[in-house]
Amino acid sequence: MELNFTLNGVPISCSLPRGSELLLDVLRGPLEQTGTKEGCGKGECGACTILVEGRMVNACLTLAAEVEGCEVTTIEGLAAGGSELAAEQRAFVEQGGIQCGFCSPGMIMSVRALLDRDPDPPEAEIRRALAGNLCRCTGYSQIVEAVRRAAELRREEAR
Amino acid sequence: MSPYLGKARPRPDAAEKATGRAEYIHDIRRPGMLHAAIRFSEHAHARIKGIDTLKAERIRGVRAVITAQNTPEIRLGFLRDNVALKGEKVRQFRDEVAAVAAIDPDVAAEAAAAIEVEYEPLPALFDPASALDEGAPLVHERDAAGRPLETNLMPVHFRHSSGDITAARSAAAHAVSGEFSTPLIQQSCMGTAGALAEFDPRMNLTIWAKTQIPFLAQRDFNSALSQIGLAGRNTRVIVPALGGGFGTGLDTHCYEYIAILLAWRTGKPVKILYKRDQEFAYLSPRQSSTVRISQGCDAGGRLTFRDVHVTQDNGAYGSWGATYPSVMMIPATSLYRVPNIEFDCELVYTNNTYAQAMRGYGNPELTWALESNLDELAEAAGIDPLEIRRINCNEPGEVTPMGLRVTTCGLRECIEGVGERLGWKNKGGWGAGKKRGVGLASMVHVGGSGRIYRSDASGVILRLDDYGNLYVASGGVDMGQGLHSALQIMAADSVGVDPERVFITQTDTSTCPWDVGTHASRGAFTAGNALLMAAEKMRRQLFEAAIDLYPDLVEQARRSWIRANPDTPPADFDWRASVAPERFQLRNNLLSLRDTPPIPWLEIDLAKLIRAAHFRAGGGEMFTVEAFYDPPSELPDWERGQGNMSACYTYGTQGVEVEVDTDTGDVKIVAMVSVLDVGRVINPQALRGQIVGAIAQGVGYALYEQVITEKGRILNPNFTDYKIPTAVEIDFPLDLEYIETDEPAGPYGAKGIGEPGLTPTAPAIANAIFDAVGVRVRDLPITPERLLAALHARYDDHIPRRAPNAR
Amino acid sequence: MSSYHRPPSVAEALRLKRELPGSSFIAGGTDLLVQMKDRVRQPTALISIRHLSELTRIETDGGARLGAATPLSDLADDSALMTGWPILGEALRDFASVQIRGSATIGGNLCNGSPAADAAPALIVLGARVRIAGLDGERLLPVEQLFEAPGRTRVREEELLVSIELDPPLPSGHGVFLKKMRTAMDVSLASIASLALLRDGRLEEIRLAAGSVAPVPMRLHETEKVLRDRPLTPERIAEARRVARDEVRPITDIRAGADYRRHIVGVFVQRALEATLEKGDR
Repeated sequence: MELNFTLNGVPISCSLPRGSELLLDVLRGPLEQTGTKEGCGKGECGACTILVEGRMVNACLTLAAEVEGCEVTTIEGLAAGGSELAAEQRAFVEQGGIQCGFCSPGMIMSVRALLDRDPDPPEAEIRRALAGNLCRCTGYSQIVEAVRRAAELRREEAR
Repeated sequence: MSPYLGKARPRPDAAEKATGRAEYIHDIRRPGMLHAAIRFSEHAHARIKGIDTLKAERIRGVRAVITAQNTPEIRLGFLRDNVALKGEKVRQFRDEVAAVAAIDPDVAAEAAAAIEVEYEPLPALFDPASALDEGAPLVHERDAAGRPLETNLMPVHFRHSSGDITAARSAAAHAVSGEFSTPLIQQSCMGTAGALAEFDPRMNLTIWAKTQIPFLAQRDFNSALSQIGLAGRNTRVIVPALGGGFGTGLDTHCYEYIAILLAWRTGKPVKILYKRDQEFAYLSPRQSSTVRISQGCDAGGRLTFRDVHVTQDNGAYGSWGATYPSVMMIPATSLYRVPNIEFDCELVYTNNTYAQAMRGYGNPELTWALESNLDELAEAAGIDPLEIRRINCNEPGEVTPMGLRVTTCGLRECIEGVGERLGWKNKGGWGAGKKRGVGLASMVHVGGSGRIYRSDASGVILRLDDYGNLYVASGGVDMGQGLHSALQIMAADSVGVDPERVFITQTDTSTCPWDVGTHASRGAFTAGNALLMAAEKMRRQLFEAAIDLYPDLVEQARRSWIRANPDTPPADFDWRASVAPERFQLRNNLLSLRDTPPIPWLEIDLAKLIRAAHFRAGGGEMFTVEAFYDPPSELPDWERGQGNMSACYTYGTQGVEVEVDTDTGDVKIVAMVSVLDVGRVINPQALRGQIVGAIAQGVGYALYEQVITEKGRILNPNFTDYKIPTAVEIDFPLDLEYIETDEPAGPYGAKGIGEPGLTPTAPAIANAIFDAVGVRVRDLPITPERLLAALHARYDDHIPRRAPNAR
Repeated sequence: MSSYHRPPSVAEALRLKRELPGSSFIAGGTDLLVQMKDRVRQPTALISIRHLSELTRIETDGGARLGAATPLSDLADDSALMTGWPILGEALRDFASVQIRGSATIGGNLCNGSPAADAAPALIVLGARVRIAGLDGERLLPVEQLFEAPGRTRVREEELLVSIELDPPLPSGHGVFLKKMRTAMDVSLASIASLALLRDGRLEEIRLAAGSVAPVPMRLHETEKVLRDRPLTPERIAEARRVARDEVRPITDIRAGADYRRHIVGVFVQRALEATLEKGDR
């Protein structure tokens, strides 16, 4: 079957020979968007977190066919234009929220969704919102600080 | 004062990772690449009677099916007791019996499943005790050289004996003993394991490997090439972004050799990638351990003896993890001052999954027993747990019974710092219906690398290009810990360039100099030292070239300055008289003279100097230097347990306050304090990531992480049932302090800090739990269920409103 | 390998289900796709129902009707629902992750038939019913009777659970939901839901249900008997704790031992009742 959707603002058509392909495999395979990572394949680790219609989902547990007509955002499309970093990315870089980096794309996508919903979340809410994104390197302290910083940067940008 | 050192700076690859552009093994593709799948054993111990690959070969898209029958044998492992594909028998559930290369991963998996293997099951061993029973079946009938074996004890020996333990034991005023265990732990790298192997037309091998030891891996893979008839051919090991290491990359693995065999057989690049459940089931976890320990002290609390016996269920094969006792000996002999010490260990082959190293390398296992048991001793002696640690504190300048030469040592400050920051004296209060308690534990670890190999060295090559960019090539691996960040800062500072002009070369055996590997918290210490040596050479070469070239460059600069600023009054400073190699200084890519007036045209862009040298008439020069640093340490005599294994030692103490819910057994960490002697802070941001990250692993290790097996089969191969901390669990205040002891052997005074954060966490938590509710759990993890069982056993199903040890 | 179908209506979905033997409905997919990866289930075809607007509506009008394919996070975001039936919000609050809650649906959580389905105990004490559609018409079944065995419900092969229906909230009822996990992002080791109506110190109504402590989510009838129509006192609570412990039928698995699960149910029943007592008659 044929799949049409918008990926990071760009209309995409691709074929799904089986029909039951997972969105993660389509993104990483034929669409060559390898920024979205597969850490567990079962929705346990969040490394594949992307946004579908602004809602965070695990791409490993999403059928590609289900995003027909949808707006999909991945880490590659997070920054508005060119090579600039988005506020969330800048904050993660500046605050040391990144170590091995494998969880970072998914983590940062979760932060985008969180801050879209609540521009200034309290710490407990940040931690709860990131419970589905495992990180083995950082112990999360500098990640939580990066989220606070991202919230600040977004407020500055909005001004 | 350096403008970069000790200041928070984002790691050089952070932006690449934040944008999803960093390339991990998962992301690399090569033209014509095939995908591999392995058929693993379905028995813990069985003779292979036959393998039928016909069905698999007939599946469309399959390019090769290999078994031990149709490929040369490749031996591997620390004891050469493992082979890439098993022909004779399987010794664990995850043994590799056959493998497939196919056009996509699904076809490969389908074909691997279609292989038919006939087994004759053999009696299997799942615990060290029964493996050591007389008449127990042998996991290995012969050693690597073909000599018959008579026991399941591994032929590795680590022992230490000092003083007179028998006399000390009978003279001790107080003595306690206990048995403590730790489970198999999954390293849980977020990026799963994988490799991509490709032969060039001359049959040289390139392998992209998720390794921490590219150069030892090159040696291993070259040996494999010899074994398949390609002697004299070379392996190039390229290390992509790692996705976490934590010890998983200290050995070469069967799956890597299988990728090599399949690439060799098919003539195509072959990639193998573990899915998460495979990572859990087929990659070696951290060694489990049982430690029997007794310690004694005199009436004043001075430690008089320590007796330690370690049993390690090694599983079916030997990895470098079988040398855990080499590191266990460090705390056993050298944490606190103890005059009479016995240490021995037995490592036992069983039919469980074979284990490998993880962060801390035996130290957390031993420290778990030692520091828990020390609290028991304190209680027996009626001495405050903090006080007993102060009484026996290590001091700078001491030589420990193992022969470790303690240079700098901030342990006293660490213990006292934890006491202060935790409010030790005033704690012991009671929440409503919930019990609070405080505990602490200390650690010592190698801080100046740990010599377990003939060479413990690191090489660094520095190269400046025509534009003043500095390229740092190191054979060390950045697996997320921040080695490249440390190298960037040290390179910028020591050479004198802007950190943004420092580029770290991708780790690759064809472009980087030899390094023994990234383990033992050694990366920044050894590569840092090599880098400082190289930087010194680089500056010498630059300043020598500047003697001739600087005057002309200044003259040009002066002229163009005056053209642009015609009103500038002439300087009355004779700068030419100051030109001498020792007067030059290089900072932020600007070459100038020391102690001169602030004349702008005296500052010359480094790039101009380099180009002037490059294009100098009559013969130019390039600026590439190398240095090789081997730390001043000794390879210990393991059977005697003697030798100064590291150039220096890292000390630290952690304190924790917990709240125990005596109804559910839940342990809530209320606050944690870590005071660590780091020598010197290079990048506080990277340092904090290392410490907090390690503490989080320590919390998981203490409270919930465990690989659960049943008759050698792993029952929880996923994150639903193998719990690692989420952001929610690490929600307690975490107070970090660094003691800067300025280690003379360290680069800028720094010590290795990769592993210490994890080491004392579990015993600190267990000690706090004891303080809170008066029971001690001796087996990790301290799950609510275990703690509740211990509470019920102690209080006969009556949960006390006040714990008996209330202070 | 499964084909993918997206029918335009429930009726069409049911027809497709009959036409395609071995097919499966898919809504959020967070359980089914994992089972497919583990080769526990290998449907020949996937019939997607998450787009059907008739299955994704939340209607609150005295009672409530929740479309079965409504993602859990949409329920949690519905203020009328959360105000009227707060215990449902409690049950969904720490369910898996934000990602999973955004995909997983309320109907899927039930149809998966897991004894650990967090929504089940809450819906049981709320007296919820499920509406099940078949080609021959619809039927209603109390959630309490929905579960047959681990992984099996009374929704038949050619039927589809279309909605969950809630009675108007019990005036002044007090609901509590408690669950035990090892860390965040976990399957419950034990959970209980309690709905109590305390008047003049007596429990006029009490409904208790537990998850993960029996082959299916279960109502704690014996424990309720000890409590119903009696004064709620510390002694009564202690008795309820004991009865609840004996009433559940947990197993030992890698997540927890049976005895521990029993113990936790007792503790949770006690805590829920103590919370009701503390809240008082208001």
